[in-house]
Amino acid sequence: MVVTVALDVNPDHARPWSEAARPTHPCIVDTTHASGAAFGFSNIPMAVWIDEHGVLVRPAEAASIERSPLRDMDVPEGLPENLTAMLKAVKEIPDDGEAYRAAILDWVAHGSASRFVLSPDEVVARSQPRNDDEARAAAAFELGDHLRRTVGPDAAVPFWREAHRLHPLNLTYKRQAWTLVTTAPDATENDLMQGPNEVYDTNLLDDVLGRGGFGAFIVRPQL
Amino acid sequence: MILDRLTTSVADFTRGTGWEPKPEGLCRGEICVPAPGALDDDTVNVKIAAERLGMPIVESPEHGVFALGPATLGGKALTTATAPDPEFVTYDGSPFRLSSLRGKKVVFVAWASY
Repeated sequence: MVVTVALDVNPDHARPWSEAARPTHPCIVDTTHASGAAFGFSNIPMAVWIDEHGVLVRPAEAASIERSPLRDMDVPEGLPENLTAMLKAVKEIPDDGEAYRAAILDWVAHGSASRFVLSPDEVVARSQPRNDDEARAAAAFELGDHLRRTVGPDAAVPFWREAHRLHPLNLTYKRQAWTLVTTAPDATENDLMQGPNEVYDTNLLDDVLGRGGFGAFIVRPQL
Repeated sequence: MILDRLTTSVADFTRGTGWEPKPEGLCRGEICVPAPGALDDDTVNVKIAAERLGMPIVESPEHGVFALGPATLGGKALTTATAPDPEFVTYDGSPFRLSSLRGKKVVFVAWASY
């Protein structure tokens, strides 16, 4: 069974996308990004596998299951410079979609005998590193979100800046923060460019290009 | 886990962190970490428990509130392969736990609108 969790502080941002997919599986929303800290999600899409006994048999890893058409698209000429750069960066995203999809289907067919099932020790060992900075980033993000709700948007900013500084490869902390300040209040969709802003030191395109591409943020599945 | 003081109940600590304070220590899955002084009847001394589990505490003095971060025990995001089971909500606000799906294989997928 598939269960999807939207890491969105506002369920109304995720709901239209979820409803448009007409899902037949459970769909939940994680408005505090608690699942990120609990499972090790640092980007999206990522997934874990949980067996019939409630035991993780694969840790958090990138979970694309098909090749994005953007990867094979010719970037049209004449687009704004930043959009061209973004599309070129998207085309370079490492693509493990077909292999990951095949691995899931193998697990469905063969259960614990699947070669993609890891032992409990392997699951823990392959889970993402977590040092004090990364754990502190999770606490700072949660505290910022709490203050955003109880005090106001500005109260979140110093804590979310700190979360970004402490865990620079966590893209969900960043994209969540950026999109809230770059999306117009009356917009029907998020600003996916999450462009330069006056609130945070970084933005999506500059951060991605500065780290050599989206691949720096992707936990590729070791299949 | 959000706190307004550095003590809390056993139930709230368990719900907020996934670690259950017991007389033998702070336990999750098959792991128990001794934590003398962390538990007094139904009250958890969060500062002691946090030190034992390597959980950072971030504070906003201005607003009188704390956030307790995840454990760094072992230096990995997971300390055990027992799946965490925080309470989530569905879009209609109903509570949901992954443990409600025991007996089924689950691919738990994180996504976002941004």
